[in-house]
Amino acid sequence: MNIYLKKIEEIAKEFDNRTITIMEVCGGHTNTIMKYGIRDILPKNIHLISGPGCPVCVTSQKDIDNMIALANSGIPVASYGDMMHVPGTKLSLAKAKSLGADVKMIYTATEMLKDENKHRVFFGIGFETTTPMTAYLLEKGICVYSAHKIMPPPMREITTKTKVDGFIDPGHVACIIGSKVFDELKVPQVISGFKKEQIIRGIYKLLVLIKEGKNEVINDYTEVVKEDGNPKARKIIRDNMKLIDSEWRGLGILKNSGLEPKNDKINAKIKYANILKNVKSFSNPACRCGEIIKGLCEPKDCKLFGKVCTPQNPIGACMVSETEGACGIAFKYVK
Amino acid sequence: MEKKNISLEQGNGGREMNDLLNSFLGNLYRGDKWENFTNDSATFELPNKDTLCFTTDSFVVNPIKFPGGDIGHLAICGTINDLAVMGADPVGLSLSLIIEEGFDIETLNEIMGSINKISKEQQIPIVTGDTKVMEKGAIDKIVINVSGVGITKKIIDEEIITGDKIIISGGIGEHAVALLSQRFDFQTQIISDSKSIYLEMKKIRNLIKFAKDPTRGGIASVLNEVSNEKGIEIELEDSKIPIKKEVRTACNLLGLDPLELANEGRIITIVSKNNSNKVLEELKKFNEMAQIIGEVKSTSNKQGKVILKTSLGSRILQMPSGKIVPRIC
Repeated sequence: MNIYLKKIEEIAKEFDNRTITIMEVCGGHTNTIMKYGIRDILPKNIHLISGPGCPVCVTSQKDIDNMIALANSGIPVASYGDMMHVPGTKLSLAKAKSLGADVKMIYTATEMLKDENKHRVFFGIGFETTTPMTAYLLEKGICVYSAHKIMPPPMREITTKTKVDGFIDPGHVACIIGSKVFDELKVPQVISGFKKEQIIRGIYKLLVLIKEGKNEVINDYTEVVKEDGNPKARKIIRDNMKLIDSEWRGLGILKNSGLEPKNDKINAKIKYANILKNVKSFSNPACRCGEIIKGLCEPKDCKLFGKVCTPQNPIGACMVSETEGACGIAFKYVK
Repeated sequence: MEKKNISLEQGNGGREMNDLLNSFLGNLYRGDKWENFTNDSATFELPNKDTLCFTTDSFVVNPIKFPGGDIGHLAICGTINDLAVMGADPVGLSLSLIIEEGFDIETLNEIMGSINKISKEQQIPIVTGDTKVMEKGAIDKIVINVSGVGITKKIIDEEIITGDKIIISGGIGEHAVALLSQRFDFQTQIISDSKSIYLEMKKIRNLIKFAKDPTRGGIASVLNEVSNEKGIEIELEDSKIPIKKEVRTACNLLGLDPLELANEGRIITIVSKNNSNKVLEELKKFNEMAQIIGEVKSTSNKQGKVILKTSLGSRILQMPSGKIVPRIC
């Protein structure tokens, strides 16, 4: 690994003090970077920023409020753990549960199939990595409120709004969609594994691409990521879900960036439209999660960070997950 | 004032639980003869100068059967271990069962079989108990409470000084990964480390200064607790911490930190430099993965501090917080 750190130092000098900004899209990469203090050991002109790769963080406030409204209306719901704690306008799903709503925390989507209440609504979140499991539930007739999103659209959006010289691409997403898909972005990218050694090597390879002005994608995670990804997973998504415009926290509505059930009868947004039409959402104006997701500021730049906004009392979504959220990770390892 | 309700995080063995306990412990009537209220066992000096240790613990686990054990085995071992880390010889246990209506009798018999087997093996009898059945849905399957008393001539609590060594008695995170393999339905060779540590403790208890069993919150929680309580700075070497490859792989996949995961048959101990190799040698007889993983760097840090040295530098190892949940992506 020292070889690559040394190589990074050498190539960094060749940029003549020009600051190179690299975005790691996936929260899993952010975790390793913060856990091992990789930002601190890089040359000063190599700047790493976190991107929109935490499923919890990018879910819109409106979707969270809608799920809470369903739960408070007596409809049993289920959600993955971290999602339970993201604050909505008035409370979180965890808070709604502690006040008596039927909210079940599940570890895997398949737990839904064992649930005694067949009317329970599953809160489907995440990118292409978790979507196949939700698609499987849809195939089995489970009702889903889908906030699922797909990855390339926000990366495209970020290239127009933020000065990013290159991306460390999301490794888990790439397992499903393959490495080819990222070519369309026309920026230097490296698909990297999640170990510290792999990330450091990925940063070096990305710097070489940037230096040579090559808008190419290097797949440096070939043991897991294939050129065409996982066709079986993509098929089950295609069979059961359709592309829609989707609202991202901080990025607004992005065209064709979300997925929802093809079958309206098990699409909770349609099935329970009469409850959801009255839901009102307001974000805390002091919270800077939206900018953090776009790479426009860092957790420490937010006035709430570590003071009123902590993992015990998250004000914004980025503070909730200590494994994928930029603020939660920063609080845990940097503070 | 906003109405507050108990959250799951307040039972996680980390920061939130400590805050909850601190909010009401000071108000409990404790008399004037008992000590060590926040330790694994409370203690009471007997007229002959021996010390009586008394502990209690309630066990809820999902799933109730897992590779390497079940809730009954866990409950008996957990209580024995809380007495053993104080330096005590356990002399008797109580067993209280709260069972959900509809619970499968065959499973109950299996659990009782585990309880009886470990109690006999360790020669620690179950001498009193209670059984309640609650309406279906009022509790989740079964809750087991076990209390225990033990006797010791000397509680393990020596002065810790700079240079003392930190030793773990085996690989960490195995109990949590065995449980997670059931929840996530993945195959693993890992079985829970759930076991009684009484025999190991008997071998080392006269050589050590401090001992704990790193259950909920894992070694991150225990070491933060002791560093804070005693005002010491601890430095751990990441590369020395014994973690089985399968445990590491499962943690990488799920996005979990093995240092924060529960163990149910491990001892973490602080030992003088002079005794450290002797203690390690004894512990290795029980588990070859036992290892010296760090040392005490300073005894004048009021807040306490745990530092983890990694191959790239070092970072603070914080007290775990929140409910341990796997990554979504």
